Amino acid sequence: MSINYEEEVRNLVSDIIEVSPEKLTLDADFIDDLSVDSLKAIEIVAAFEKKYKIVIPEEDIPKIRSLGKIIEYTRPLQKD
Amino acid sequence: MKWDKEKIKSVLPHREPFLFIDEIIEIVGSQKVVAVKHVRKDESFFEGHFPNNPVMPGVLITEAMAQSAIVLYASAKPEIAKTHPAYYLGKVKSEFLSPVYPGDELVIETTSVKIIDDAGIADSLARVGDKVVARANLIFGIRKK
Repeated sequence: MSINYEEEVRNLVSDIIEVSPEKLTLDADFIDDLSVDSLKAIEIVAAFEKKYKIVIPEEDIPKIRSLGKIIEYTRPLQKD
Repeated sequence: MKWDKEKIKSVLPHREPFLFIDEIIEIVGSQKVVAVKHVRKDESFFEGHFPNNPVMPGVLITEAMAQSAIVLYASAKPEIAKTHPAYYLGKVKSEFLSPVYPGDELVIETTSVKIIDDAGIADSLARVGDKVVARANLIFGIRKK
């Protein structure tokens, strides 16, 4: 499940921020390295909330600034 | 809760002839607003769109939806809205299903998908009577002054 989940999340984020999955490394900082602005950030958050039926509180958004951080944050919230 | 035009103008920076909502007839917490635009026969845009065949431009329906989304944002984030930040539209996915004519009452229902301090996503549905004339997903940003 873990490898699939990582790929799934990578594809979801890469579609939104228009960066190829190969360039989307676990550590790349969305804002500093990938030029993600607040509009792209809320798109990512809303896409996660819709796809995985979770709620990401606003105060947690600054903590998930990389693919690795998103996976770490959302994996425990999966209802499977 | 209902808002008249003066109350709308206390939140929106838009003014005539670029104010495209006339009243708010319903606000459900920070989740939904229902706005109304009375499409007048003497709207200036009908002069050119189109001569002898007046139809409300789809971009202006989208603009009305976006303005209703600002009211929605102000309901969710009243403290920030009070500072009169700059609102800008970032991305729109829209569908126009039926023409809007002079004399129509455009009822716009806009619901929150996600709203945070500096951005928002909303779904909007525009109706004339029972007919859905347009729908859109709007992503907008807020720049604090």
